[in-house]
Amino acid sequence: MSILLFQFQNLNAHNNLEPCKNHNNHQFFCDLCGCETSSGSFGYGTLSNANFIGIRYIYQNFESKTGIFENSPKSKEAFNTYQLWAQIPITKTIYISANLPYQDLNRTFKGTTENISGLGDSSLIGWYKLNFYKKQDEKVVNFNGEKEASGHSLQFGLGVKLPTGEFEERLADNVNPGFQVGTGSFDGILSVGYNYGGNKIGINTLLSYYLKGENKNKYQFGNQFSYALNAYTAFSTDKVNIMPFVGVSGDVYNAIEQYGETLNDTDGDILNGSLGSEVAIKNFIFGASYTLPISQKLFGGNVESKQRFSVYVNFAL
Amino acid sequence: MKTLKFAFALLLCTIISACSSDDDANNPEDLSGQNGTLTLKFDNGVGDQDFIFGTNYNKSNNESYKVDNLKYIISNIRVKDSNGNTFMYPDENNAFIVDEADANNAGEIYITLNNIDAADYTEVTFGIGIDQERFALGAEGQGDFLELAEAKGMLWSWAAGYKFIRIDGTYSNNTVINEPLNIHMGSVGSSLDNYKEVTLSFPNTVRVRQDASPEIHIKSDISKVFDGTTTVNFADGYDQVHVDAVETPIIATNISGMFEVHHIHND
Repeated sequence: MSILLFQFQNLNAHNNLEPCKNHNNHQFFCDLCGCETSSGSFGYGTLSNANFIGIRYIYQNFESKTGIFENSPKSKEAFNTYQLWAQIPITKTIYISANLPYQDLNRTFKGTTENISGLGDSSLIGWYKLNFYKKQDEKVVNFNGEKEASGHSLQFGLGVKLPTGEFEERLADNVNPGFQVGTGSFDGILSVGYNYGGNKIGINTLLSYYLKGENKNKYQFGNQFSYALNAYTAFSTDKVNIMPFVGVSGDVYNAIEQYGETLNDTDGDILNGSLGSEVAIKNFIFGASYTLPISQKLFGGNVESKQRFSVYVNFAL
Repeated sequence: MKTLKFAFALLLCTIISACSSDDDANNPEDLSGQNGTLTLKFDNGVGDQDFIFGTNYNKSNNESYKVDNLKYIISNIRVKDSNGNTFMYPDENNAFIVDEADANNAGEIYITLNNIDAADYTEVTFGIGIDQERFALGAEGQGDFLELAEAKGMLWSWAAGYKFIRIDGTYSNNTVINEPLNIHMGSVGSSLDNYKEVTLSFPNTVRVRQDASPEIHIKSDISKVFDGTTTVNFADGYDQVHVDAVETPIIATNISGMFEVHHIHND
């Protein structure tokens, strides 16, 4: 644990963090790629809430208007995120989830593609899990002293998103990408989740709130509320456990502030629908999901999320 | 358990430090002696559409127009700060031609102002065209601008003066197709003063600093030239506007209403 923390701080110290440029309304990409890929709407772990260490790949694409008019040309953004992620147990009821992304972002405008890549913003959350147990039959003396799990549990998380993502400054030619791998800010994360895991079905819900810090450019991304609800079922054989799931998730962003003033058209919201499955074989959990926006209004409608796809391989601890 | 407590303590510390403000409101910045660059980005459009040469745009009364030449003169730019002080850009350099043909690939034309006093600015004022005082300085008093205006076709002759706006293209309506359209509006020497000024307030504070060069993104709605304060029709003679004492003041007033600050960038 302390090794992990040390590493994060080390990375942070090495990065010359600069805030996002906001040319052509692209400042918000910092938020979309730097933070959203580690946000609650993406989920922090596996369906069964198992402890693991693994890698996840996320592909997202967007279209965004490059000018101020209805017919201003659009650029296309494709974000590739490679994450090292883990859920590590500390005690029976306490665990930590950590996330270290590598961002590889492409923006295509008028036939020219620009690329920016590097370490993204990592997050670290400590969780307390409250398990609920079945009521014990008072007439029966329980000799073994073990309470029977009801399958219901609550999780409370407290964490940080660290500005480990490096900002790459590009000057103001007008096809300026302005999209960054990090937000340059320390953010606080508060989460609460409810899980139910029965024999045939399970439900995971997660609500997260992000308190965004100000970065060096006096830029403060709007606080963000993320939610996710997944329902899954399980088909088991001796060797394989297949768990298909459907879900909805979303994010609500407050407006960005700079020098204490609110910037217009920087708030927004998105609601997504997801479909996917996990396959557990021995200690390995393979997962895939596909996400499409159901409704959205990001940054005054200037940005449109198109789709999201993720695959992961986790090793259960 | 010790590691855990340590980890939580660390998390808490980080969160608290991330949320604490630097409170520089108590320590006002010392801006004396500092100056920076301020950029005005002019972005021509027609209503909510981007302006593109050769595109057919509809106006009122079933008339439409295509433009292949669009220029206007901006002068006497000054900005007012949050304390009410006005910074006037030096007179000798304070006249510019915004020419759509000079636009970058995002369709923006830049006016870059150097050595602006560092301050928090709240509004900009500028004139469209050339005022009588500057014109009265005579041909020699115009500096390099006279040559620029001549090269850009923004001057009739010294006696007649500058063309404040120049729109060349064609128009169509119910009776004619692709007839010449030429709007050349100016002051006509000193006999007719069509110089107008506009003041636009900023949606966010524009912070000029030694190391910060803000940009003001100004949207210019060309449709307002014809459908502004007054709606004019090509069929009624507004296809050729030159030195007419009735037509030019109407166009001048319409043009003074076509500017809007869309947003600003503080970088």
